[in-house]
Amino acid sequence: MSDKKTLGEMLTERGVSRRTFLKYASYTASIMALPPTAATAIAQGIANARRQSVIWLSFQECTGCTESITRAHTPSIEDLIFDFISLDYHHTLQNASGHAAEAAREAAMKENAGEYIVVVDGSVPLKDDGIYSTIAGITNLQMLEETCKDAFAVIAVGSCATFGGIPGANPNPTGAVPISDIITDKPIINISGCPPIPEAMTGVISYLLSFGSIPELDHLGRPKAFFGEAIHDRCYRRPFYERGMFAKSFDDEGARQGWCLFEVGCKGPVAYNACATLKWNGGVSFPIQSGHGCLGCSEPNFWDMGGFYKPLSTAKGDPLKWAGGAAVAGAAIGLASAAVARKKRNDILKEGN
Amino acid sequence: MQRDSAAPCLSERATGMALSVLTEIHQLLKALSEAGQSGSIDLRSLPLSDADREQLENVLGRGELQAQLNLAGESEVWETTYPGVWWIRHKGAGGKIATEQISVCRIPEILITHPADIEAAAARLKQELETTHV
Repeated sequence: MSDKKTLGEMLTERGVSRRTFLKYASYTASIMALPPTAATAIAQGIANARRQSVIWLSFQECTGCTESITRAHTPSIEDLIFDFISLDYHHTLQNASGHAAEAAREAAMKENAGEYIVVVDGSVPLKDDGIYSTIAGITNLQMLEETCKDAFAVIAVGSCATFGGIPGANPNPTGAVPISDIITDKPIINISGCPPIPEAMTGVISYLLSFGSIPELDHLGRPKAFFGEAIHDRCYRRPFYERGMFAKSFDDEGARQGWCLFEVGCKGPVAYNACATLKWNGGVSFPIQSGHGCLGCSEPNFWDMGGFYKPLSTAKGDPLKWAGGAAVAGAAIGLASAAVARKKRNDILKEGN
Repeated sequence: MQRDSAAPCLSERATGMALSVLTEIHQLLKALSEAGQSGSIDLRSLPLSDADREQLENVLGRGELQAQLNLAGESEVWETTYPGVWWIRHKGAGGKIATEQISVCRIPEILITHPADIEAAAARLKQELETTHV
């Protein structure tokens, strides 16, 4: 449950100094692409904030998003987020189960009405009255609508919650839809990815805590700090792309030399995410650095984009001519997908009636 | 610093970014000297190669003051050989660099004791005096 003390008071009692807040704030400012001078305001904002109640709902998902945010490390700056929030409901992490778990969710909603944040991973099935995924005797749709009713904001994490993801892939047997197709009267922040980069999730929560407002979002509702640039734009292999040096297979000389993976299906030019800069596993690597093309998992309908190993289509078979249109194509795909997703939800509901 | 053994090309090459950063530091130093205005550069936000970073660190060097901080992982702060130019390195999980910045100021904020910590220290010492019999 949320503590009535400020985070500053609470953590000072535990011997956590304001220098630690400032360190965390510097880290947050850096990952959110804010000026370093914003760190002081973030530290002050977090210190003055109350512990944020968070209700985490898991629907049609694989728990990869939870794995991502809780990746096991020694206690460190990245883990401080768990001191700043009160995770009042989370299937995988909470001790309570059954009626006690649901009671915890209901109590958190009542005590923090209008102030709590709902984090959702997984899509929501609508077909056949939503019977394909139920929790505690109610459908995901019912639980989502009930829980979001008095929320301050909703954070959809992972490509299933943001765009329908794998459950929503063709032929979408359960009528899976993203959260934004259902919740239309609350601010929704989409943090896509399969799974999303953990820093993107913690960064957004820290931003909400510090400033009490929503960070700047792109046309798909994703924070621009993490989704403002294509993987391709910040890829360390891009100079090879510019010179037309491409690996033709995963075991040729080009692949061994670290050349561009465009022709073996890399979706970096149409994938907007921070993998190339923040990387994974504490900054160790990211798929392209490990020798595999980007799957474009942070984009709508990535599972149906024509095959992971098939190159993005080119007008005349010349990958270099294709480059200029990449950003425009990415944006167009995104806009079209959002419209398709909304139509899909309406169609499924009509079909059900 | 992690490197990709399959593609070491860029991380080992200097790109000229170090010179750009040094030019910006010079501008910030002038602002500090003439108007007392502090400024910072987030090194993580810049596409620096390993070689650029090394070049920058070598040119700036380490001056007469260095501090090690233990705050949810290690942090290091040192004044470079250019007084007023500080290098701040925060480490996170597994000792990896979480964020790194150049701060141009009289003293970095992270070295200054916050009033809330002073207040808490006074309260804690008072409690200690009340319960300890030396």
